[in-house]
Amino acid sequence: MKLRTVNLTRVYRRGSSDIVAVNKVNLTVEPAEFVAVVGPSGSGKTTLLNLIGLNDYPTSGKVFIDGSDASVLSGGERRKVRLFRMGFVFQTFNLLPTLSALENVELPMALAGVAQREQREKAVRLLEIVGLGNRLFHRPKELSMGEMQRVAIARALANDPELIIADEPTGELDSKTAREIVSLLSEINKERKASVVVATHDEKIVDVAQRVYRMVDGVLSLER
Amino acid sequence: MRLLTFCLRNLFRRKTRTCLCIIGVALATMFVIAVGSTSMRYVTVVRELNVLFSEKVMVVSENAIVVQAVPIGGGLLPENYTVKRLWKVDGVEDVVPVLFVTPVGIGDTIQLVPVNFTMGIPVGKWTAVIGPTPLRGNVGHFPSDESEVVVGCSLADQCNWTVGSSIVVNGYRLNVSGVLDSKVALIARSLVMPLKLAQKVYGYPGSVNIIAVAPADGVSEADLADRIKGNVSHVKALTEEERNDVVEPVLAELGTWIMGIQTAVFVLSLILVMTVMMMSVSERRRDFATLDAVGAPLSYVFRAVVFEALLIGVFGGVLGVVCGSILAVVLASLYTNIPLSLFFPSLFDVVPPLYMVEVFSGVVIVCCAGGLVPALNAVRVRVAEVLRAEY
Repeated sequence: MKLRTVNLTRVYRRGSSDIVAVNKVNLTVEPAEFVAVVGPSGSGKTTLLNLIGLNDYPTSGKVFIDGSDASVLSGGERRKVRLFRMGFVFQTFNLLPTLSALENVELPMALAGVAQREQREKAVRLLEIVGLGNRLFHRPKELSMGEMQRVAIARALANDPELIIADEPTGELDSKTAREIVSLLSEINKERKASVVVATHDEKIVDVAQRVYRMVDGVLSLER
Repeated sequence: MRLLTFCLRNLFRRKTRTCLCIIGVALATMFVIAVGSTSMRYVTVVRELNVLFSEKVMVVSENAIVVQAVPIGGGLLPENYTVKRLWKVDGVEDVVPVLFVTPVGIGDTIQLVPVNFTMGIPVGKWTAVIGPTPLRGNVGHFPSDESEVVVGCSLADQCNWTVGSSIVVNGYRLNVSGVLDSKVALIARSLVMPLKLAQKVYGYPGSVNIIAVAPADGVSEADLADRIKGNVSHVKALTEEERNDVVEPVLAELGTWIMGIQTAVFVLSLILVMTVMMMSVSERRRDFATLDAVGAPLSYVFRAVVFEALLIGVFGGVLGVVCGSILAVVLASLYTNIPLSLFFPSLFDVVPPLYMVEVFSGVVIVCCAGGLVPALNAVRVRVAEVLRAEY
């Protein structure tokens, strides 16, 4: 998936003042590219990821996916893009607490209408890939943070996305587990040819990224 | 992942709250079932009181207090004199004097709807009053002499009377010659005996309190009643319509009140379910945001929340219908002094299955309605807002 933003801007109104969270951002993510966006907290990284992940609407500017303007998509079409073409990994994992690891991974497939047997087989395979073949039926509260993030990554891969958007995926993890998650994302990027956009503070991620952007006060600049 | 499993797990994430909500819905359902079926039964019994004298003009003393076709107080009529006068009225097909006495010794208070009766009917005129009611198992016969009596099946079951039993009424020993097999409460709770015997047993020689007058072909009840009023003094001649006119407004008002109470109970259930589901949705904003992020269709989220509310309705409804039916039977037993054991086999007479289905469906629909607003709130949750609030 090729993703491009043109003068992407998001302004929040707080009381009587406007806060420009994302300011005229021009970003291009080539197919199978690993892009890192670094910057301090509150610089607008999460907002940018929400905009390119079609989870939020820009105040102005546009997002192009494979050359098509995403702003013309309806809510339902945006959901379909998220379901079939994107995978999300959050800092706080956002697993559904009532579902087991296996069921969490099956969920996007179930929503996509994949046959139940196929869901099960693929979810098991994905969890084995992320090293959780022995934790299939554990609920999130029975897993460590690193394991929860692995489940989240497996879930993000469920529908074979072309773009994985990860928001501080190592933010809650210890350094050893963070290293493992970074190498997992890197492997996915290489082996599955999926583009990866990561918002992070983590130097380990910056090291594996092909392109690094810095974001300060909503303004994005190419660092490397 | 089936929607049912998903919803059940979410529902029982907060076990105490969900159970309390289910109990609340169950209590409401129980109340509706118990009050509704008890009042329906009351109305049915009152309406059944007219069944004996359907399409007949009922002649009673001008002082008599009558509920439907049952005199619950007032004066007696001299049998021979009144019957003779009535036969002289133009357009009369048949005249059947009846002594209606209540109660027969099980409980001593006069009730608006008596729980048992004695009917003294002239020998051979049985069907003119109780219609084609058969004898249970076709065993026995209608009284042929002045020591025999037939008893209603409910009364017989309660008192363990069978054909051949010897019973004592007001000091008179009588033989049970048959058991009336009828679901009509009035007949099922009656002692039917020859008129002369009833007059002797209850100490009203030569007196009756009802005379049923059948109109001849081509004569309307209203015409006959007018003629009776014109020819026989000191009596009231009531057509079926007039008898209904006395009671129906009261029954209609009762029905309105019951419906109002039931509606209020349902509205409270709706508020309860809506509140609980709103709390549940607001606690699970992150889950809904996650579903939004992974691309779950709005209809999936909406259905999931409404389905959870529906499950509360199903659990509460089933529990409420079962408990409500038991309560209705207990109330019926307390209200009539008839043992519980006689009511349970005929549970579906006390609480009709259709009524159970209606109330259950009503509760499920109300609970689903209670889930609509929370479901709309759930589909409005956006991952961008939730994450922004978190970070």
